[in-house]
Amino acid sequence: MPSNISNSSGLQRLIAQLAPLLIVSALVFALPVLLNNDFLLNKVARYLVLGILTISLGLSWGFGGILNLGQAMSFGLGSYAMAMALKLKTVPVHTGASGLPDFMVWNNVQHLPWFWEPFRSLSFAIAAGLLVPALVAAGLGWFMFRGRVTGVYVSIITLATMVVINLVIIDQQSYTGGFNGITDLAQLELFGVAFDAYGRATYYLVAGCVLLSLLIAFAFTKSRAGLIVQAIRDHESRVRYFGYDVALYQIFVFALSAAIAGLAGMLYTVVMEFASPTFLGVQLSLSVVVWCAVGGRQSLVGAFLGAVLVAGMQGALSESAAFLETWTLVMGALFVLVVLFLPKGLAGLAQATCRWVAQRRQAASGAVGRGVSQTEGST
Amino acid sequence: MDQLIEQIVTGLSIGSILLLVALGLSIIYGSMGIINLAHGEFVMLGAYAAWVFHTYLGLGLLASLVPIFLVVAAFGWVIERYVLSLLNNRPLDTILATWGVGIMLQQAVRLMVGSELRYVQLPPALADSMDVFGIPISSYRVFLFVVSIALFGATWLLMNRTTVGMKLRAIIQDRSVAASFGINAKRVYALTFAYGAGLAGLAGALVSPLKSVSPDMGTGYVVDAFMVVVLGGVQSLAGTVASAFILGELSGGIAFLQNDTVAKTIVLLAIVVLIRFRPEGLFTARVRA
Repeated sequence: MPSNISNSSGLQRLIAQLAPLLIVSALVFALPVLLNNDFLLNKVARYLVLGILTISLGLSWGFGGILNLGQAMSFGLGSYAMAMALKLKTVPVHTGASGLPDFMVWNNVQHLPWFWEPFRSLSFAIAAGLLVPALVAAGLGWFMFRGRVTGVYVSIITLATMVVINLVIIDQQSYTGGFNGITDLAQLELFGVAFDAYGRATYYLVAGCVLLSLLIAFAFTKSRAGLIVQAIRDHESRVRYFGYDVALYQIFVFALSAAIAGLAGMLYTVVMEFASPTFLGVQLSLSVVVWCAVGGRQSLVGAFLGAVLVAGMQGALSESAAFLETWTLVMGALFVLVVLFLPKGLAGLAQATCRWVAQRRQAASGAVGRGVSQTEGST
Repeated sequence: MDQLIEQIVTGLSIGSILLLVALGLSIIYGSMGIINLAHGEFVMLGAYAAWVFHTYLGLGLLASLVPIFLVVAAFGWVIERYVLSLLNNRPLDTILATWGVGIMLQQAVRLMVGSELRYVQLPPALADSMDVFGIPISSYRVFLFVVSIALFGATWLLMNRTTVGMKLRAIIQDRSVAASFGINAKRVYALTFAYGAGLAGLAGALVSPLKSVSPDMGTGYVVDAFMVVVLGGVQSLAGTVASAFILGELSGGIAFLQNDTVAKTIVLLAIVVLIRFRPEGLFTARVRA
């Protein structure tokens, strides 16, 4: 909830902060008009989903100060929830008893395991895709933050937890499809609309979720809880001395971030048409950190654009192996430079540029000695 | 009985490799507070250096150990000087920066020598096996065990019996007071990082005959080594040794009883629980601040 609409200048500030968010969303929605190519649209949809994932990390890292190196865990859990439901809707190629998924037949599983049973309902799967990551994160958050684990140790624990879940999924091949993941999925059907991965409907679904995630995250950062979370990031013990339950707020932002990542994971399954253990791999998880840092960890729109631009560029260059290898090298260098010289990422650079232009203009118009109206901060 | 001894010996062998890799990481983390995610890549560079020295210069592995140490240490020095020293008060950012450096090193190697596996020959003198408690074991593994203990000894002496070590310990206690006594903290940090990197290079060269050499070989090592450091406790060299062998025996034992996945899972979960309840590590006594 916006807490600072006390007067018209507060409202103006709010609009100024919302502007980049709305402009970017409008561009996302307008893209299919310019880009009349279903294959490319599918690719773009993929980068947008990764953008949502990066927004979720920005929320916990940029605003909560919690560097979650296992963000892909929530993403993967969401992705598997969706894949399980869609798998049960396919006609199995190698039919087993009562429409058992094909990989279970190959692994001599006789009956559908109990934890697969509820996924016959799509609404259950969607709820699970949001709630399971959120609850796992809340549990993990309770375990860490109640023990006042901070900084680097949070990163290690989140990373280790993700690796454990990844190992278990790969190991339990007969229930999870193991290394191959879950493939050959049915199309998602919601409210009578079929979401073909290469169709417009899917693109708009993703675009809608981009807007939704940005708005939810934005609303959270402006809410009372969001402000306290940012205060904890800046000075944890001071907030504690004020009497706030620091761990509770940290758990909340951690779980919210996981739920958004779970949403991204579900969309990823729809766009990619499969789920794989690599979706909760170390590689992806660390890439998200890079995108977030390059785009600007303290800016939701920045984090989103960082993911879309960097992942998009990587995708465009991946046609040629030699290009991709050189690109990875350049990417590493770019990343180091951003960490060294642009701790606020491209968004920070953009803000600094805007401020500089505004100051120049004011200086030119001769208005000396008055405060520059700053629109810095967290959009 | 024989099987038990064999298990213990296997565990010791795993542990000595862990110790080799973790020693450098432990020094860097313990004294500078930097989590060096490029450590695995230093290990990889050492392994490639061994391969280059062998293939292009015809040097045996044992003869090239000293040059390898110096080459990788030089790399470390450059990285400390031009990247990490710019990140003085941002510990979380050093994780990111070292990770970026790691990617660059990995990719540079891939571009220069390709990503196919390379093999380094065992030193001929150590190629046979010998009997330990009636169990035949490769001489090279015994050699690794001895070297890892020797390197630990050398590092301990360096930290506790030399001027550089004393300066480093002074900086760890209080950087500004140490600086006001005329200690050049920047220089000592650069040297420390270079030394840690050199040790990683040595580790890579020493394990290269046992495993194949590839650009991404370091990734697995850095995780394991990090677990060793966390378990052993920051700033405790003896703790690092103990935890390296504990983890070696543990993962050897569980892998024997169950399988690799279960072993990895249990070790990771144990680490998570340990961090939560004893973040200072198992082997550090609380000292006055």
